[in-house]
Amino acid sequence: MLTSPLRSRRSVLRDSAVGFGHLAFLHLLQQNRAAADPVINQAAAVSPDGPLSPKPTHFSARAKRVVFLFMKGGPSHVDTFDPKPLLDRDHGKPLPFDLPRVTFAKQGNLLRSPWRFKQHGESGLPVSELFPNVAKHMDDLCVLRSLHGTNPAHGGALLKLHTGSDQFVRPSLGSWLTYGLGTENENLPAFVTICPTLAHGGVNNWGAAFLPAHCQGTPIGNASLNASSVGVKHIRNQRIDLRNQRQQLDLIRSMNQDHLESVGSNAALEGRLDSFELAYRMQASMPELQDLTRETAVTQRMYGIEDPVTEDFGRQCLMARRFLESGVRFVQVTHSDSEVQWDQHGNLYAGHTKNAAEVDKPIAGFLQDLKSRGLLEDTLVIWGGEFGRTPTAQGNNGRDHNPHGFTMWMAGGGVKGGYAYGATDDYGYYAAENKMHVHDLHATILHLMGLDHQRLTYRYAGRDFRLTDVAGQVADDILA
Amino acid sequence: MYFYLPILLRSLRTQISLDFEGSDLSTVVQSSIDLSLRLLFYGCLISLARPLAAEDLNTANHIEMKAPSPEQLEFFEKQIRPVLVEHCYECHSERADGGLQLDSREGLLRGGDSGAALIPGNSAASLLIEAIRYQNLDFQMPPQGKLDPAQIAALEKWVAMGAPDPREETIAARLPVGMSTEEGREFWSFQPVSNPVVPDVGGHAFVKNPIDAFVLKRLLDQGLQPAPPAQPRTLIRRLYMNLTGVPPTPEQVDNFVSNASPRSTQALIDQLLHSPSYGERWGRHWLDVARYADSNGLDENLAFGNAWRYRDYVINAFNADRPFNRFLIEQLAGDLLADVTEETKIATGFLVLGAKVLAEPDREKLTMDTIDEQIDTTGKVFMGMSLGCVRCHDHKFDPIKQSDYYALAAIFKSTKTFGDSNTGAIKHWHEYVLESGDNLNDFKVIEAEIARLKKEASDWKNSAMAKLRVAANQKATEYLIASTEFGLADSLVRITEVADRYGLHPRILHHCRRHLEFNQQHAVFKPWHQVQQSYSDTSLRADAIQKIYGPLFAAAVGDKTGRQSPDVGPMLKSVVLPDSMLVAAALEDRSGFLTIPPKPEFAFDDETLAEYNRRMEAARIYESKARDVPAAMGVADDAVLARLPIHVRGSHLNLGEEVGRDFPEVMRNSTVRPVFPRHQSGRLEFARWMASTQHPLTARVYVNRVWRWHFGEGLARTTENFGVLGDRPSHPELLDWLAHWFMESGWSTKDLNRLILDSNTYRMSALHPQESGARKIDPDNRLLWKFRMQRLEPEQIRDSILAISGRLERTMAGKTVPLRNRQFVFNHTSVDHTRYDSLRRAVYLPVIRNNLYTMFEQFDFPDPTMPTGDRSETVVAPQALLLMNSDLVLDSADALAQSLLQLSASDASRVDIAYQRVLGRHPNERESRRAIDFVAQIRSGARLNAGAVDGQGISKGWSLFCQSLFASNEFMYQR
Repeated sequence: MLTSPLRSRRSVLRDSAVGFGHLAFLHLLQQNRAAADPVINQAAAVSPDGPLSPKPTHFSARAKRVVFLFMKGGPSHVDTFDPKPLLDRDHGKPLPFDLPRVTFAKQGNLLRSPWRFKQHGESGLPVSELFPNVAKHMDDLCVLRSLHGTNPAHGGALLKLHTGSDQFVRPSLGSWLTYGLGTENENLPAFVTICPTLAHGGVNNWGAAFLPAHCQGTPIGNASLNASSVGVKHIRNQRIDLRNQRQQLDLIRSMNQDHLESVGSNAALEGRLDSFELAYRMQASMPELQDLTRETAVTQRMYGIEDPVTEDFGRQCLMARRFLESGVRFVQVTHSDSEVQWDQHGNLYAGHTKNAAEVDKPIAGFLQDLKSRGLLEDTLVIWGGEFGRTPTAQGNNGRDHNPHGFTMWMAGGGVKGGYAYGATDDYGYYAAENKMHVHDLHATILHLMGLDHQRLTYRYAGRDFRLTDVAGQVADDILA
Repeated sequence: MYFYLPILLRSLRTQISLDFEGSDLSTVVQSSIDLSLRLLFYGCLISLARPLAAEDLNTANHIEMKAPSPEQLEFFEKQIRPVLVEHCYECHSERADGGLQLDSREGLLRGGDSGAALIPGNSAASLLIEAIRYQNLDFQMPPQGKLDPAQIAALEKWVAMGAPDPREETIAARLPVGMSTEEGREFWSFQPVSNPVVPDVGGHAFVKNPIDAFVLKRLLDQGLQPAPPAQPRTLIRRLYMNLTGVPPTPEQVDNFVSNASPRSTQALIDQLLHSPSYGERWGRHWLDVARYADSNGLDENLAFGNAWRYRDYVINAFNADRPFNRFLIEQLAGDLLADVTEETKIATGFLVLGAKVLAEPDREKLTMDTIDEQIDTTGKVFMGMSLGCVRCHDHKFDPIKQSDYYALAAIFKSTKTFGDSNTGAIKHWHEYVLESGDNLNDFKVIEAEIARLKKEASDWKNSAMAKLRVAANQKATEYLIASTEFGLADSLVRITEVADRYGLHPRILHHCRRHLEFNQQHAVFKPWHQVQQSYSDTSLRADAIQKIYGPLFAAAVGDKTGRQSPDVGPMLKSVVLPDSMLVAAALEDRSGFLTIPPKPEFAFDDETLAEYNRRMEAARIYESKARDVPAAMGVADDAVLARLPIHVRGSHLNLGEEVGRDFPEVMRNSTVRPVFPRHQSGRLEFARWMASTQHPLTARVYVNRVWRWHFGEGLARTTENFGVLGDRPSHPELLDWLAHWFMESGWSTKDLNRLILDSNTYRMSALHPQESGARKIDPDNRLLWKFRMQRLEPEQIRDSILAISGRLERTMAGKTVPLRNRQFVFNHTSVDHTRYDSLRRAVYLPVIRNNLYTMFEQFDFPDPTMPTGDRSETVVAPQALLLMNSDLVLDSADALAQSLLQLSASDASRVDIAYQRVLGRHPNERESRRAIDFVAQIRSGARLNAGAVDGQGISKGWSLFCQSLFASNEFMYQR
């Protein structure tokens, strides 16, 4: 059982040292010297007693790693994975029941979906024609149609989805997983977020808040940058070559060892010696992992990298696969466009057409790739936005934010494939059956990773905190 | 786990007075309590529109239940119990979510926080029935989904028949409450500040002032001896770093070391306390506590363009040694003082600086959330109390009641934190416009210019888009023809080849093909699909499309000449031509088959895009640099609410009993209740009460903070938590003695600094001759047998590196965030426009919530949304990357190297200068040798590189050496 640390946070941090990958100091001194070359695509053995070393789960895990394909802006569920025949029938009529007490904008009448739905695979799960490639994988998908949240604005909803709280700064989902599970590759961060948006919560969406600093997500670029050009900050010294830097690190090490002798044993000082070695190795390992030219042309095509429409998201997905394969525990990939994102208050048709075209093939390729590498079994893939969209119109051709009922899906990692869980009402406004609050989603994700959301706690400011606050129920029905 | 809860809770009550940190039991208790009892059950439970009156509850409790008949019992067992067990017990039995237990009759009647769950015989008035009917959006149970209609009907029937219930069990345990007020008064931090007698330690040489006596007494009791005094060289660095945040120059060190005496130390301390840098360093400590930032963060990250006035106020207050009681009052109620000034109004920015959910559409929720942030911050900052948890329920551990919270909330609700304006969905915080001699009309001109530039850029974009639209419409037929040449799965590369051949826009063509796919049944596009199916030959397709659509599109745009019945050939006899109205509509539809990509990067050619970006950037830069209306963030009084209802479970939709304005009961120093003014919020009375010498917490919390900022660890380590779960002070008598002394001194921070700095406790060495023995007795050095070595804070690291390399710029004060007030720091584009390349002191660098300066973030700058008196010291690899590769460090190392090269021609003396500047000491011979060898090694490596000039190799070597000193542990850790 994971309990909160008994010692104060300060003493833990002081004594434990070194995040990102993470080293436990003393015996690693030798190990580091032995590892002259960066270890890629092969999980470097992790010291057993560091805070980031792999930790026992509460019960056996169905998934070892998570990838969250985040669709920023709020994709419309009634136009993608949640078909509503009555919405079609009653197009133009008013919603036959009450609107929520608080809505983001003024609501019009019901607006039918411009897209047709078709059933796919053996399961016959429907998906709209926006996703012709993902459609081929419906038998792997576990479509969660009854998600609901609490906040109808982007900022609040993003924070709620990523941290469980839309009012306070709280640790993010990936940070909790890192805290609970540690890492499998000490040369890499345990939690990576590729091209995240800096708006609407920004860093807080991958922040560790009061959890130890090493639980923080490592951003690779941000949403304003092309995936082909992003990297970890300060990962390269533009002015000197690696040989000189190696000589310099030897000098620093020598100085630090002298200093250590003069002040006596001290965990933080020792950890700091190692942090330079780790940083040095990361300088090689991170860019190498991001180097997609190491993949075959076939693989690159599978992700749509040769096509400018799908290139950016395809790169993110392929990078994600390389990170996952190398032992990164939690990878988030963000589809966030600098203009419209998935936030179609107007012009739903053009916006969703464009967005879906950008992600459909990369996602399908990603699922295919994970599958053929045998990774899908123990990788939990999650797809979704911060909320869905209203079945009612905003303006004449848009949809407003809808946190009251929306769809996400999962694949792999111990969930049922070809399965639809929960339902919204006849028009898709409110979650109605097997309702799954964002807290329930979090509880379920932790469960799949072998963690009990009620037992994964951290004491801060005199309280034991949880990702799920005081709520959260595992959706047992979706477990394979 | 829940099973054990009641027992554990009872044991907790007895444990409370013990320091149980580290005890297994307490951990279990703690986590189980938090898991099961913490409030705010999301959405579903918290909100109940209709509060239950107290009489209803009494009626419910006193109703005489007739013994149920056998039929009723059968009905209960068959229809009711299974539903309750299956759908309700998980949360509403032992766990008692919302205080409600449904596993006994008593539990049902007693109800939860919202009142009785049912009124026997009256299903319409029963909360249980209301919840399961799912008609009130804010009050639905079970949360996972509505019950079957038959189950709902059964429960309605059951309540209507008087809710016959055979379950005899009584409620096992009600929710526990925290300490009672009476118990609380016995708790150390709520007891009045005492004035302990200074211990007699028999004229020990260590004792220079009473601090030393208190410390030495505890050391001797444990068989420990204090470390010897630090060397003068170490002491002067410690004093400079501690009081000003930058190290002394070699000259200052030499001067001090060669004239070391008690008097010169005294003089140095006075000099440093009077240096403006003192305020820059110590003001920053307070800014940590005040969760200072230059942007809102949280949901919508708008610039706090006027927050800097509060920052400068704090720096000035520390430099001027503003008495702390006055400092407190100014920040909470500076606008209400009789001697109100602009400065005291600026001080109230303290209450406005919190991160707010600015786009929260529920105004009342926003108001209560903001008040919560203010109460929680005020509690943590001045009283070391977490009052935030009391929003929803009585404090689990501390003797603070929900009524205490709402008594304070009434004060804050009578306070205006938001202004009356907004930008779309984003609310504006309250500001004071300051007297500045500016003509306010000038700012209207500036606003108009900003709006004009933005409009110009967007008009320009719209007109470029319109041109694209016209061009696309003119080639509508070609788009349809080109679309026959590729499939949905083809890449944009392939589509571009086709588009180029026809002179079309590839992205429009890409969309067009998809549109055709999505609209196969649309009258306008049906013929296209018929052509596609009828012919496989491209030219035949093209011909047919031309024949069908050419005239149609021409007609739609009013060209009558081409209008004739097309000859479509035998294959397409069945084609039904669409109505011309529909054709025209399809052409006009902005999200139709010729949709222009909404993203300028996709729509425009390079030249157009560059021009659009230039205009956007010009507008943004103009706005960033445009002068703000001189204004300060601050609160004002609002309509006074003398009473406020308790919000049951923290929900503004579930209102309970009303309470009047007052102070938390456990901290009251008199049974006589204060009279709050009818026409004022009561903030001034609240502030004065906290600043009173009778308050048990204010002085204790503050002197503990000051101690932390000198020693790197508080006497009580949890600087924001003096409650039951907080740390107990290592030297309780010393803490009280200091608090008392501090109040006697007139709350002077500098006097307190001086007292501490004068003590031998402060001046101890960080090394102890019997280190290992002392560690065995007191591994954490809680008893202060040596000075604690401290990792430099990011501001110290940066400012020192800049100062040592001669790059630090000492301009004080003024606006530094490069954004206009309320400008977006980040909109949806995620482009970071904030720069951190200023060479001024770090206290003036922008503090951007949600995206802190990397240097700050890596080196444990506190989260600027929460009060932090005790920063962390972590060691993570990205810190090393920053020291190895960032421009800040590389440029500074270059600058230092250049000055070494200019100052001396001798390698040995260059090394000596570098050591003195960076580490404040001379190198020994081995170190000097090592450095010289290193520089030579780099130089010879450079020589091997063809074409490298020798001089480059030399300066590179020295630069790498200087950088190594900056990266060294000796530099990074202050002793």
